[in-house]
Amino acid sequence: MKNNIIAWGVIISIMALSCHKAPAPTRLSCCAKDGAVTASSLTGSLEANASVYQLPGEWTDAHNHSLELKELKGRVRVVAMIFTHCGYACPRLVQDMKAIEDALPVAVKNDVGYVLVSFDAERDDAAQLSRFDAEQGLDSHWTLLHGKRGQIRELSMLLNVKYQQLEDGNFNHSNSIFILDKKGKIIQSIDGLEPQTGLAVNTISRLVKN
Amino acid sequence: MKTVFTFILLALLPHQHDHSGMVKIPGGEFRPFLLSERKNRKVKVHSFYLDIHAVTNGEFLAFVKANPQWQRSRVPDIFADSHYLKQWAADLEIGDGRIINSPVTNISWFAATAYCKWKGKRLPTMDEWEYAAGAAPVNAKPGQQLSRIILEWYDHPNPAVLPAVGSTYKNSFGVYDMHGLIWEWVEDFNSVIPGGENRGAGANPFVCGAGSLGTANKEDYAAYMRYAFRENLQAAYTVSGLGFRCAQDTE
Repeated sequence: MKNNIIAWGVIISIMALSCHKAPAPTRLSCCAKDGAVTASSLTGSLEANASVYQLPGEWTDAHNHSLELKELKGRVRVVAMIFTHCGYACPRLVQDMKAIEDALPVAVKNDVGYVLVSFDAERDDAAQLSRFDAEQGLDSHWTLLHGKRGQIRELSMLLNVKYQQLEDGNFNHSNSIFILDKKGKIIQSIDGLEPQTGLAVNTISRLVKN
Repeated sequence: MKTVFTFILLALLPHQHDHSGMVKIPGGEFRPFLLSERKNRKVKVHSFYLDIHAVTNGEFLAFVKANPQWQRSRVPDIFADSHYLKQWAADLEIGDGRIINSPVTNISWFAATAYCKWKGKRLPTMDEWEYAAGAAPVNAKPGQQLSRIILEWYDHPNPAVLPAVGSTYKNSFGVYDMHGLIWEWVEDFNSVIPGGENRGAGANPFVCGAGSLGTANKEDYAAYMRYAFRENLQAAYTVSGLGFRCAQDTE
């Protein structure tokens, strides 16, 4: 019953929020930048059982090797979901991740890995990911993952990334970079397309030492 | 010998083609509530199978018995919040006999997805669900249109004991209770992406792609509620009025 109340509370607050909706169809502004960044530490999830790596299933990387998420354990990981045919936002996310990599102290660099997971089960196969890897000049610290439709959806749920496939095969999606500790718990999500390099570097440096 | 071999082979086959308790929904088009620039006014849905009724507490108990990692005391927090299956008396005990045939609720998206997978099925997509749910009632009281059923349901508080599946109405596809009993999870509920409206300090992290979102029918308050509800869900959430049913490809 309490849950009912919560549910209706949610609905009522949705309705309250919706009052601010413009009556005309609103445009998803591509690449809105002003103030589009919120960085939040995800607290509240319990320490135990909080690892994203509990998600079972085989993925394929850009070298056509299969791997499970749990194999990503042991390093701090910087993670984003993208698709390689993306015009603007995804390259920006990759640039932001590279900026984080470049800004990390040398002592920390080798304990950090970067993971890009594609939304695009159809087009982003190992060969395409390999091309993207070369185009972007990504080093050996980067892992690019291709999966099946269902497992991509499952991972998006764990990361709370929203996405929708459009009729032309491209995707609308939220833009976030996640910092995961060595066990796979989400420690920080950086939302938006404005770099938050300093914040990320601080978090990562702290986690590497833990 | 050959017969025995065939028998064993048949026994080993997964239940991929077991459509019992399901109905084949013919392909077609529908006008979705949310439109984007690139999505035409109508959305095409391929033919698929859909469970005739929502998964019940009794059915879900069988799943939990076969898959102990989905017991209330064992499920990781990231896959289900602390209200998971709270209507049950214990890990493997429903307790209240009146809800055995009622839809299982307080269920997370991850648990619903795992159940459907176990059955060789999947959750319906949002488009599939909306398309199937848009069909007219065939056994409702005279003059009772779909929109009326939905709004009356929204109007009443949830009953203390959730009624059994099949207790509301059947639609022209042969599916029961698409409205009027519970809310239902869909595979891609997190594809409801807020439009360009400003929330707080103009935060709009939802970019990439050039779609524009608008609603097809602003009078469609009932559909608006569903989409708004979905937009605010997370996959580990459990809610007392939220359950699920499974779907399956026709191929």
